[in-house]
Amino acid sequence: MRPSHFTEGMTTPPTSDVDLFADEVVLDPYPVYAELREQGPVVHLRKNDVYALTRYAVIRDALPDWESFSSTSIAFNPMANEALTGTSLASDPPVHTQLRATLTENLSPRALRGLKGRIEAKADVLVAELVEKGSFEAISALARAFPLEVVADLIGFTGHVRDNMLRWGQAAMQVIGPMNQRTAESFPIAGELYEWCSQVKASDLAEGSVGRGIFDAEARGAIPPDTAGHIIHQYLGAGVDTTVAAIGNIVALFASHPDQLDLIRENPSLVPGAFNEVLRFWPPVNAWGRRATKDVDIDGTVIPAGAQIAVLLGAGNRDPRHYENPDAFLVERNPVDHLSFGYGPHGCAGQGLARLEAHAVIEALSRRVKRLVVGLEVRVPSNITRSIEELPILEVIPA
Amino acid sequence: MKIVLDRPRCEGHGLCEEAAPQLMHLDDDGELVLDREEVDEADAALANAAVRVCPVAALRIA
Repeated sequence: MRPSHFTEGMTTPPTSDVDLFADEVVLDPYPVYAELREQGPVVHLRKNDVYALTRYAVIRDALPDWESFSSTSIAFNPMANEALTGTSLASDPPVHTQLRATLTENLSPRALRGLKGRIEAKADVLVAELVEKGSFEAISALARAFPLEVVADLIGFTGHVRDNMLRWGQAAMQVIGPMNQRTAESFPIAGELYEWCSQVKASDLAEGSVGRGIFDAEARGAIPPDTAGHIIHQYLGAGVDTTVAAIGNIVALFASHPDQLDLIRENPSLVPGAFNEVLRFWPPVNAWGRRATKDVDIDGTVIPAGAQIAVLLGAGNRDPRHYENPDAFLVERNPVDHLSFGYGPHGCAGQGLARLEAHAVIEALSRRVKRLVVGLEVRVPSNITRSIEELPILEVIPA
Repeated sequence: MKIVLDRPRCEGHGLCEEAAPQLMHLDDDGELVLDREEVDEADAALANAAVRVCPVAALRIA
């Protein structure tokens, strides 16, 4: 991003009265995204008082550009940004660099390599059981059950924590939104997760788990004192709700696009590309915040210093300037540069684990299922994570 | 042209290796090894693909 100098011909961005967080918009944001993209690469949304980045190129440039766009305002309300202060999620380099290294020490693909076989086996057992059953509700039985089992195993918790993890994870994402009713109702629940993470001890977590490993790292001084609980908080806050959304989306998109499922069944090497396409088509997170550190010039229009930014990942992913026929779900497209994990220093820290889980589910489904006959999907408005609430599978036609 | 790796930033996602296995690979410890740092015109497209796909922007062309 070029630092701006208010020269002749520079203008303020177009404006819109769209409310990014209105129920009908969070339920189906794509018509609004198309409208905003046509208005310009940056649009001032008066109702939300944010500057929305709408097109692929500007988003891909902005995400790694921490000097122009600070992560100290990734949430759309000051209380959440305050609560996130001091985490890698909400900090900028140079402080961010060490925090990120600490966070990813136990989460990077090289740290997770040992889990691959276990995750694949779990997915296969679960999918086999569901195929055998023949009809089930896919969100609770698969999209929620599988990541919860993986994350419980990873962090090493059981009992009441496991029972609460879904609502804690949902609330942790919900409070990233503006201070609407959903956010206000979710703060106390997100607080329960924070509370548990603040008091959890190594001995509460199963031996050999990654969670226990984080405490071991703290004990031997590999990571700073009193950071283990915060790291576990970030794993759970960021990693549960998003992965649940992605896996639900896999099932729904395969059910509604049997021709695309056929392509994967015929050619299993399409699995990673198919997950990229699921993420591009329906990102778990559609909008994420930044703050302009200075006046920023975007194609001749100016975002003023201090402005709250909404990075519309889901709008960029459907930009016809970057992806041909963007509103089609095509597993052979392999959009490796989709925006759904973000990009750059703040790129999703858990994407390695997300890939392990999603690839395992896609592999199991494409090996065992020929067709899924679905009933009506149910969606519930949500501030940040866009996911399916209920997805009845009426019939499985096995492979 | 030269491929430059920001080693501390690399987390070993391995997408670059998938894009350009002729130029780089993850070793047994999951650490990225640049097999060729200096690349000629013929491999420019591969090198650019590897840089583009890195999810944490740890690679660049100098």
